[in-house]
Amino acid sequence: MKPRSFFYFLHEALLGLVRNRLMSLTAMGIITVGLFLFGLFLLVTANLQYFTDLAWGEIELRVFLKPAVTNQAAIGKQLSALPGVQSVTYISKAEGAVSLEKMFNNNHLFLDEENPLPDAFNLTLTKTADPEELTRLVTAIPGIDEIVFGQDFVKFMEIAIRLVMVAGLILLFLTGLAVLYIVVNTIQLTVYARRKEIEIMKLVGATDAFVRWPFLLEGIILGLLGAGLALLLLREGYTYLVFRLQHYRRFLPLLTGKEINLTLTVSLLSMGLFFGGFGSHISLKRYLKV
Amino acid sequence: MLIAKKLTKIFNNGVLALNEVSLTVDKGEFVFLVGASGAGKSTFLNLVIRQEVPTSGVISVNQQNIAYLKKKEIAYLRRCIGVIFQDYKLLPQKTVYENVSFAMEVIGTKAKVIKPRVYTVLELVGLLNKAHVLPSELSGGQQQRVCLARAIVNRPLLLLADEPTGNLDPDTSWEIMDLLSEINKRGTTIVMATHNREIVDGLQKRVIALDRGRLVRDTPKGGYALET
Repeated sequence: MKPRSFFYFLHEALLGLVRNRLMSLTAMGIITVGLFLFGLFLLVTANLQYFTDLAWGEIELRVFLKPAVTNQAAIGKQLSALPGVQSVTYISKAEGAVSLEKMFNNNHLFLDEENPLPDAFNLTLTKTADPEELTRLVTAIPGIDEIVFGQDFVKFMEIAIRLVMVAGLILLFLTGLAVLYIVVNTIQLTVYARRKEIEIMKLVGATDAFVRWPFLLEGIILGLLGAGLALLLLREGYTYLVFRLQHYRRFLPLLTGKEINLTLTVSLLSMGLFFGGFGSHISLKRYLKV
Repeated sequence: MLIAKKLTKIFNNGVLALNEVSLTVDKGEFVFLVGASGAGKSTFLNLVIRQEVPTSGVISVNQQNIAYLKKKEIAYLRRCIGVIFQDYKLLPQKTVYENVSFAMEVIGTKAKVIKPRVYTVLELVGLLNKAHVLPSELSGGQQQRVCLARAIVNRPLLLLADEPTGNLDPDTSWEIMDLLSEINKRGTTIVMATHNREIVDGLQKRVIALDRGRLVRDTPKGGYALET
């Protein structure tokens, strides 16, 4: 596209926006609402994911050895070499008893009988660890009696995330369709108001691209403005929320505004671009058949 | 310049608008297309500017069969054809100058070419002093002149006029006809669909008559009806 043509299209697009300001504002408002919901969904899922990742880092896998085992050091080495294992700590049956007694206010639990606890290893996992695969590998090591794994909570979180994602995606898809429908209809009204102009343009030999560009730019500007407004509301709102909840960070870890801003900005602006551009494209199709 | 061979148009609702029409219009000719309403005059013009596609037959403009054109080629075809409408089809929010320059802008003409050419054309149609007024401030005849200026500003090889005097009084109609004759003398081929018996009889140009989609008469220098 020649720069002169671009400025002509931009001029026509801006003129169109000003002439149909009420309809333009309506379309922009609808895009803002739609993208606000989309951004909200992004924030919720990103934070759930963050929370789960943190939880993974804190999970410990406890491996109990069979009573007859004597090669603890060799097993410890084998465990350290497994994929997804961050650290391995050996806990002898005596240490286990001490730690258990501490949990029960230093009551001597095993005064009258022999310490029944087995030797054990505590394993911390990396974020990329595959718990099921690890369980399989650990079980395969000779001398391993039992594995206790605090994965249920994390698994529950993962299922929760998946459910939120599926429900959110369905909701977003429906919201997206509704937004697109309204945007198409709104832009179609501005196109309809200028159908005579389009007809004349076509009759004097304007190409479809030439007719389409000002409307596409109009849609894109509306989409970006709508996205910008949604972004502003979400960023300010989220920053405020993080600030208000900073004291509960230990129990309710949240991504900071900085960590999420780039994703949010790129996602919302591209969606705005899509709604505006694609909306205009669909709206114009009928009127270009001259 | 313009050739039609067994040109037929049947609309989707089954109406036969043109039935095997064959004709040739040479470069520089002035042709009247006459006939009652529904005879097929407008359909013929719409086929020439590719607003409609023929059902069968051949239609060629400047030695190019336009029945099978790509979208982009349609745009380029229309750049060598000017069209005048009965209802002028002016853009009400644009001034006279803008209405004419618009036709040049949309085909990508350079800005330095547009201004002098628009003023030249407005001078030709006698509207230089109205360049910056809106169409609503003009009379019907003046609006038709703007339409004419817009149609010729891109220097078309062929000018199609669909009932250009249909909304005008007799004096104003003759003013428009004088302008069309002047444009024709400068080398532009003109095909004009009209009901205006007085003008057709008065100018004694080539007359092609259509009746219910069929070409029923082609007279080199004739009047509106056979007997004139």
